[in-house]
Amino acid sequence: MTSRRDFFKLGAAVAAAGVSPAAMAALPEIVSMDRADTRPPLLPPNGRPYNPVVTLNGWTLPWRMRNGVKEFHLVAEPVVREIAPGMKAHLWGYNGQSPGPTIEVVEGDRVRIYVTNRLPEHTTIHWHGQRLPNGMDGVGGLTQPQIRPGETYVYEFVARRPGTFMYHPHADEMTQMAMGMMGFWVTHPKGPHPLIDPVDRDFCLLLNAYDVDPGSATPSVNTMLDFNLWTFNSRAFPGIDSLNVRLNDRVRIRVGNLTMTNHPIHLHGMEFEVTGTDGGAVPKSARWPEVTTDIAVGQMRQIEFVADAEGDWAFHCHKSHHTMNAMGHAVPTMIGVNQDGLAEKIAKLIPDYMAMGERGMADMGRMEMPLPDNTLPMMTGRGPFGPVEMGGMFTVLKVRRDQRRGDYSDPGWYGQPPGTRAQLWPGAVADPVRASGDAPDTNTDIEVTVRKPAGHSGH
Amino acid sequence: MPACPVSRRLLALTLASASLLGGCATFSPDGGFGAIQSETAARAGRDVVWSRDDATRAQTRARVEALLAHPLSADDAVQIALLNNPGLQARFNALGLAEADWVAARRLPNPGVSIGRLTRGSEVEWDRSLHLNLAWLLTMPLRAGIEARLFEQTRRALVLDVLRLAADTRKAWIAAVAAIQSEAYQRQAMDAAAAGAELAARMARAGNWSKLKEAREQAFHADAALAVARAGQSRLQARERLVRLLGLEHPDTLQLPERLPDLPAALPSLPDVEQRAMDSRIDLQMVRLQADALAKNLGLARRTRFINVLELGAISNASNEVPLQRGYEISFELPLFDWGQSRVVAAESRYRQMLERARQTAVDARSEVREACAIRQSQYAVARQLRDELVPLRQRISEENLYRYNGMLISVFELLADAREQIAAVNAAIAAQRDYWLADADLQMALAGSPGPAVLTPLSPASAASAAGAH
Ligand SMILES: [Cu+2]
Repeated sequence: MTSRRDFFKLGAAVAAAGVSPAAMAALPEIVSMDRADTRPPLLPPNGRPYNPVVTLNGWTLPWRMRNGVKEFHLVAEPVVREIAPGMKAHLWGYNGQSPGPTIEVVEGDRVRIYVTNRLPEHTTIHWHGQRLPNGMDGVGGLTQPQIRPGETYVYEFVARRPGTFMYHPHADEMTQMAMGMMGFWVTHPKGPHPLIDPVDRDFCLLLNAYDVDPGSATPSVNTMLDFNLWTFNSRAFPGIDSLNVRLNDRVRIRVGNLTMTNHPIHLHGMEFEVTGTDGGAVPKSARWPEVTTDIAVGQMRQIEFVADAEGDWAFHCHKSHHTMNAMGHAVPTMIGVNQDGLAEKIAKLIPDYMAMGERGMADMGRMEMPLPDNTLPMMTGRGPFGPVEMGGMFTVLKVRRDQRRGDYSDPGWYGQPPGTRAQLWPGAVADPVRASGDAPDTNTDIEVTVRKPAGHSGH
Repeated sequence: MPACPVSRRLLALTLASASLLGGCATFSPDGGFGAIQSETAARAGRDVVWSRDDATRAQTRARVEALLAHPLSADDAVQIALLNNPGLQARFNALGLAEADWVAARRLPNPGVSIGRLTRGSEVEWDRSLHLNLAWLLTMPLRAGIEARLFEQTRRALVLDVLRLAADTRKAWIAAVAAIQSEAYQRQAMDAAAAGAELAARMARAGNWSKLKEAREQAFHADAALAVARAGQSRLQARERLVRLLGLEHPDTLQLPERLPDLPAALPSLPDVEQRAMDSRIDLQMVRLQADALAKNLGLARRTRFINVLELGAISNASNEVPLQRGYEISFELPLFDWGQSRVVAAESRYRQMLERARQTAVDARSEVREACAIRQSQYAVARQLRDELVPLRQRISEENLYRYNGMLISVFELLADAREQIAAVNAAIAAQRDYWLADADLQMALAGSPGPAVLTPLSPASAASAAGAH
């Protein structure tokens, strides 16, 4: 096995041997990120002005303006990504993280992207959804030769269509996407656009899924369906930052799905409209209010709403298994199974054994028991009122009256006005009238009449 | 086995003449038992007692009872067998008979009728004759010599019997203790299966589980219960075998420890074990005595040199002057005689026959001790591997599985199946530990004499997989 350090050495060695210092100087500087928290928006230092996005637990790649061309440098390489505090995954990504940095340009920009391959195998980058010359589409073998380890390729095209895009490899794509290679791309409109409204806060995130065996760190690249980590930008709750906005902000959230299943993304507290897809802006006449939008595989949705309700509002995938971390899908249901007297017997053979699941699985959110190394509890996270009992694709939209413009920091838990929270009823409740709870008696004689087929009359 | 070349038992009906009785020939006070005692003490480190009278019997009984008051160690078990095994006590009487013959042979005779028996191989010849005092007197030294050697042979055969009983007892003790341990672990495995079956039944009652899954857990339980029954039988058999060797009338008094002794920290090295066997094996000493006796019987007196019987063939074909080239030499030497002078072809043939038989015994002895040594070494490695690697690994696996259970990644049934596998691994380690101690006992025996057909102890550690009944 080649170690991660070796990959770096390999890349450096090839670059030193094959590219002259002058040519190296001609490349834009490599900018790398070593943190997994949400970076503040990158205000454009040059070029056409625009209102930058905030990548959830991510960042925007700085560029170099050279003779009127925006030049970016992406490095495909192995990375260590913190999925949540307590768990790090060995992934592949770009410029130090997975997903890679967000690329932000303006409609009409000429963009040049240098792609250096520091992976142990070849790669390419496909610019999902973009209008571009065929030879820039990045499909290995079809539109270009694959970029071999150590090589740098240059992509160049004009960002013609404003909207929401992503990038990902199109070479050994199954492996490389299972390893976390993907990134976000936003092309801002160059001026007022009839279908693209200006917003106060513009968030973006990719949906991804990994199958990391508990106790290990590298995803199983051959898993097709049974993933155990469902993530926003390669982060799982409680590792996902909250979306912090000011009351009455117009908010846009752009979501792209590079997993292998659909995700109904759901927002509490407010309705939104889908204002665009990776195919472009949605005509206003075609928009309708929603609180959940399903994002199919390989699709992107941008949702917009006015954050006019103060509070801490859940924002998550509505598939309940996708708001869990690693769990055993084959574990039998223990609800209603009385383990009295038995748990002690088992504990004699297995010290530290504790009966679980007898009343449901919420115990899991409370108990802190040793887990395999580098493994997130199935359900975890704490809120102001106790365990949140979540994981995976879950975070919180925090709407605050006093959140300053341009301030994306976490304001803490919402202080609910008195009398506006569900509360304990102190009085007595009469027993409900209920049917007998006994299991159906299988010995009851039930007359079953079986009509034997007679002849072939039916034919 | 070839009988003694000349085995003669004389039953003389003496017609009495007190004056002719020499004061020189009397029974020794210990019946020749002292030599057996000292030899046993030197080789087995235990005391052997011949309970010929009530006083001794009472003494040994008291000693046996004292030893039985506590859980018995292997050494104590051997000690009890040497004091109390009825078969051994019976065999000691052969000593009395041999000494009687020897003493009779040294006694000045009275005229009378004698009945003699001559044995050559399977041929037995009886002769009845009237002895004259003169003839008796003339042949007395020869007969006394023969009977002395027979007495000596008997003594050595008895030492071998004692040592073999010691080895058998030690092995029976090891097997009995290991069977106790094994049964205890099988019982734990059954407890795990019982918990699984009980939980399965409760789950089925709650409507959470199918009859199929419930039946599967019950089948594990039933299997485990059978394994416990079989382990109980094995324990009973092993214990009864030990009881027989100890000669106990009341087996209830026997208490055994719960565990085998630990493996030694390092395998005790045995340098030159084959040569040691050549020097110390009692069967080889008996061969030497037989050679000596045969030579005397054949009237061979002039020893020319000694030959290493292990190289009998090589020497026959090689020139006497050329020394045989060997890195190191294992030797078992017997005298060679000057055939030229004796010129008795039959004598030479018989002596050569004896030499070949001696070679057979020596070759067998070397092979046996080599085999025992190698098996002990490999058994030690197996037992260490199980104890130091496999069992700790199974414990690690169990620990990791518990973490997985904590994370609701696996169910309690997988935890219980894993517990059964861990128990099976411990059981296999116990079996290997037992087999090491058995091999060790075999090696000690192989240094004294043939360990018998049981040298290849059945090595039957229950494999971790088969006993586990995994899902
Ligand atoms: Cu989902």
